[in-house]
Amino acid sequence: MWSRRRRKTAEGGPRRFGRLRVERFGAIAELERPRALVFVDRALARRLGAEPGAAWRDPAGDGDVGGAPLSAPLEAHLQLTNRCDVGCQGCYTGATPAGAPREWGAAEWMRAIDRLADQGVFHLALGGGESATLPWLGQIAEHARRRGLTPNLTTSGLYGLAELIPIAHLFGQINVSIDGLGPTYAAVRGVDGFAAADRAVRRLRQVKREIGINVVVTRANFGELDEILAYASRRRLNEVELLRFKPAGRGASAFAHLTCSDAQHRAFWPLIRRAARRHRVRVRVDCSYTPMLVHHRLDRRLLEQLAVYGCTAGDFLVGAKATGALCGCSFAPAAEGRPGLDDIAQYWTQPGAFGPFRNWRAADEPCRSCEYHALCRGGCKAVSLHLLGDASKPDPECPRVVDFRRSGSARPERVRLPVVM
Amino acid sequence: MLATRFGLNPNSSSLGVDVTFLFFGAAALSLITPVMAALLRLRRPTATYVEPTAAKDG
Repeated sequence: MWSRRRRKTAEGGPRRFGRLRVERFGAIAELERPRALVFVDRALARRLGAEPGAAWRDPAGDGDVGGAPLSAPLEAHLQLTNRCDVGCQGCYTGATPAGAPREWGAAEWMRAIDRLADQGVFHLALGGGESATLPWLGQIAEHARRRGLTPNLTTSGLYGLAELIPIAHLFGQINVSIDGLGPTYAAVRGVDGFAAADRAVRRLRQVKREIGINVVVTRANFGELDEILAYASRRRLNEVELLRFKPAGRGASAFAHLTCSDAQHRAFWPLIRRAARRHRVRVRVDCSYTPMLVHHRLDRRLLEQLAVYGCTAGDFLVGAKATGALCGCSFAPAAEGRPGLDDIAQYWTQPGAFGPFRNWRAADEPCRSCEYHALCRGGCKAVSLHLLGDASKPDPECPRVVDFRRSGSARPERVRLPVVM
Repeated sequence: MLATRFGLNPNSSSLGVDVTFLFFGAAALSLITPVMAALLRLRRPTATYVEPTAAKDG
């Protein structure tokens, strides 16, 4: 169990920042303005109120972020339902109108949120399927708030908008999935939903400032990224989150024709940098893009300082399927033994927990000798699992890995059938 | 101060990171570190302190 103590100075007064979570390297302090999680060493953690405990027994751990998995995830990604009527060709959960058998309901999710709060998880990312249609979504968000977690939401914007508007204030950030403008949306998703998604963006923005869009970057919309950032600027959105296409769910079948080309992966960072500056839009990129960033030899200290990591599944984040099954990330299969999200405290410290996701240090070349490996951690394991049948292999779409293979240094991989998760 | 993760990640499939500061290269470091350290110290007087099971056992 957690020990949860309120510590006050002689002056007393209101709480000035969120939780302070002890870690092997020191602690993580949650700031509310600006919204940030700050990783500090033991000396600063002590000054902020943390007390020496078992986690600080090994002096070598002081300041060593990444030297061992965190004591608990920073955030949990909850697939509240796998029901969705849209049927997008690249849906990574393979959502259907019927949803998954034995989906959890509000009571199970709230119980699991209690366990996450006990573990000191800071943020929730709620998704689906289409979670906005769930009659108990507001209950879940309120419960998370009560337990000190910040709930955030992704929605297609195609359904459930009327229900979402009155509870939008409960979420820290809401992003609408928009993978292209006008006909490009349909080219990526296989469904013509741009007008409805755009309407959702405008309606949500009328009631909340923290509205953004999620954009899955594909071969079909890569050439439109500048226009998409311009769109976000026109709609006065606070962020654009760019996601690499993942071969999971129906996305496994669509991967070959939708994933970006090698040339596009190499051009991604310069293009985004120019477009974000031009349109003055805040850009976030997902963990799977780290190989494409470090390919441009960005300052390693700066990457460390901004906690830009590659795959941190089963470490910084965990996922849960609509059935409550715990997984390293949303694209990964359920963890071995099929623990539930509410079993996280027991599973987290088990030897071998999260399998290849935590074994990134035992890497093959060219990752092993890569100066960014401790940050990148071998790239996206969902892509490795799909293309190579082995999640522990270097991400085959990483430019460095592509060059390594072209140079003939790599032994030929055994070709395996794609894995559909 | 070792690292700072800015913002909230609404995406339920992967972990997003704000790359705005990366646009400014190493110059961003000289800005982020002192500002965030100052914010932490200014807000130091009261805090909620939590220690998870794993950290205790670790």
